[in-house]
Amino acid sequence: MAEDEVKQELIVSKQVISVPQRFATGPVMGYFLQELRDNARIMANRCPECGRHQVPPREVCAVCRLEADQWDEVGPEGVIRHYDIVYYASPDPLTGETREVPYVLAWIKLDGTSGDAYFWHMLKENDPSKIRKGLRVRAVFNENRVGAPSDIRHFEIIEAQESGGEQ
Amino acid sequence: MNKKKNRNVAIIGSGQTKLSSHREDVNQPEMIHEAVAEALEDAGMTIDDIDCVVHGNMELFEMVHQPDMWHVIGDGAYGKAGLRLTTGGTTGATLVCAADNLVASGLHDVVMAVGFEKLQEGHTTGGITNMADPLWGRSLQTGALTGTTAYDVMEEFGAQRAKRASMKYRVIMDKHAMLNHKAHRRFGLSDDQIDAMAENSPPLVGELRMIHMCSQSDGACAMIFASEDKVEELSANPAWVVDHETVHREETLAFFEGAYRGTKSTHRVAAERLFARNGITDPRNQIDVFEMYDPSSWWGLDWMREFLLLEGDEHLKMVENDDIAIDGAFPINPSGGVIASNPIGATAMIRVAEAAMQVRGTAGAHQVKKDVNLALASGFGGTFWTVLILLSKELPQ
Amino acid sequence: MSAREEHAFVVEGKMALPYQYFAGTVGSTFLVALRDEQKILGIRCDTCNKVFIPPRATCERCFSDLTDKWVELPGTGIVTGFTVVRYEEPYQPKKPPFVLALIRLDGADTPFVHLLESGDPAELQIGLKVKAVFAEKRIGSLLDISHFAPVP
Repeated sequence: MAEDEVKQELIVSKQVISVPQRFATGPVMGYFLQELRDNARIMANRCPECGRHQVPPREVCAVCRLEADQWDEVGPEGVIRHYDIVYYASPDPLTGETREVPYVLAWIKLDGTSGDAYFWHMLKENDPSKIRKGLRVRAVFNENRVGAPSDIRHFEIIEAQESGGEQ
Repeated sequence: MNKKKNRNVAIIGSGQTKLSSHREDVNQPEMIHEAVAEALEDAGMTIDDIDCVVHGNMELFEMVHQPDMWHVIGDGAYGKAGLRLTTGGTTGATLVCAADNLVASGLHDVVMAVGFEKLQEGHTTGGITNMADPLWGRSLQTGALTGTTAYDVMEEFGAQRAKRASMKYRVIMDKHAMLNHKAHRRFGLSDDQIDAMAENSPPLVGELRMIHMCSQSDGACAMIFASEDKVEELSANPAWVVDHETVHREETLAFFEGAYRGTKSTHRVAAERLFARNGITDPRNQIDVFEMYDPSSWWGLDWMREFLLLEGDEHLKMVENDDIAIDGAFPINPSGGVIASNPIGATAMIRVAEAAMQVRGTAGAHQVKKDVNLALASGFGGTFWTVLILLSKELPQ
Repeated sequence: MSAREEHAFVVEGKMALPYQYFAGTVGSTFLVALRDEQKILGIRCDTCNKVFIPPRATCERCFSDLTDKWVELPGTGIVTGFTVVRYEEPYQPKKPPFVLALIRLDGADTPFVHLLESGDPAELQIGLKVKAVFAEKRIGSLLDISHFAPVP
């Protein structure tokens, strides 16, 4: 570009696009969310063929493709299968807020579940160095529940673990 | 499963924009046009020679619905047959599969595939979160970051060796990017920075650090697929599309379960099927170059074992011994890969375009040193959607 | 225990995210001319012998480079199609009823959508002669033209 050329103004149109939405839960997810809200309990559905649980539930067993029409109460305790300590404060697109970091996400094998569906939720632990696979955790429910994932405020590590935990 | 093609298909041209985070000088169709014009020139064709345009990008990442309509201004699709596809991060590779299928079927003789993303205009985290189940996953998910693989690799091989290997992988990818004038991020990293970066690069999630993680880029890629007759008619320089395989699993509501160690990864399943169909019993020796979709150095490292059907620590050794370098025994991502440049809707297509350039000998400064007859390219997207594509210089029989 | 129809309910959701769209060099020239000079620019393809508005960098048919082939257009033109919007939605530019029209400016080959304000619904017809009315406050957007009005 020649020195005497003025840099062209490049126009940008900035918009906040806000889309309101309404999602039908259907009977299966609806039942699960209502049980969280009304009874503070976690319901999983089970495949009649292979016996694996899905939680949160899906109408059909992902492996057998059959209606998973058997239900069991599971948890509220379980074992950490895997976890992530998040340092990067990415904004929550639903609220625009940034979560306080670090925070912990965990994949939890809830007591009473069969198969490989791990329950994904927040884990509250002020000292992340304490976290390892195999620790026992319990769900902490909110007093006021609305039928949403946040009805479980978070999971917490159970003090005085009986063994060193599985690795 | 037998994959029968009615006729052979070759890639005869490709184009890419300079991948960057600052394309304020063009709007979306204009950016796409740059890649389209370059592809046509590479193929020695005009837009009139194209029968059908297949178009794709990440759904709603720029919050423009059905952008293929607007983009007709730039991609020349007016009056032509067309298809729009979107399969998340694998979009670019799925577009390649679609173009291949359309020509192989006999439906069209010349198909142009166009993939793009203008992430600077969009909201990447929002877009990715938008993919989660709105009744459960959305409130938990933030973007596409996970450190679970890093923990698993460290657990298996020891923290120090694992961190060094993943950082060495990162450095090799950057060295390749330095040779690719189209790559977005080119840092000039060197081996003696490995230990310092492993300690000091800001952690994003667990041991996944900023330096490990892929770019967010603006860019477009266009590729031209032609039938065997057309290749002959045009005396084109072909990279033949031998075969492709797509495998995905989505039964969990978590974006990344991080738990595929209990079951076979989609990458391994795709490789087993593709190699079995094509007589590949020793991928490391039969395949000459691999453009792998590597969203982070940890995944790039870990997935080498899955795609090449390795066991134990063979993949770590390949990195430690520089086998994957551009002049090594099994070059991986001579383009610099996804860590260097990631315009998501184009990224998986760029893997195939780059693999085709290696076959055709048109990669310039980042052309691998050895002769390339067979090239492999992969696409990846959440939640473990894998596309694997095999290209060859020799006409498939 | 089983999931039944009466368990289904509706969850309200929302996605509100910031986006930005770059007009590009050609688009910016057009928008800046609207904003600063109240001038409407088209762009010409010499091969196809067509004038496009809004302008673009390449001809979509023949792929010719159209950079700098600017044509100043008058604010007058004709209506080539229109519709009267009567239902209300939060994202509309005006409260209904209002008229959206395709306007082909004199000298241009492509019509574009804009708002048409007319005192008399009976005069709305294809071929109606109209003129651009610029907004007081202009920011570099197509709505720097506030609306089109019939030429008396």
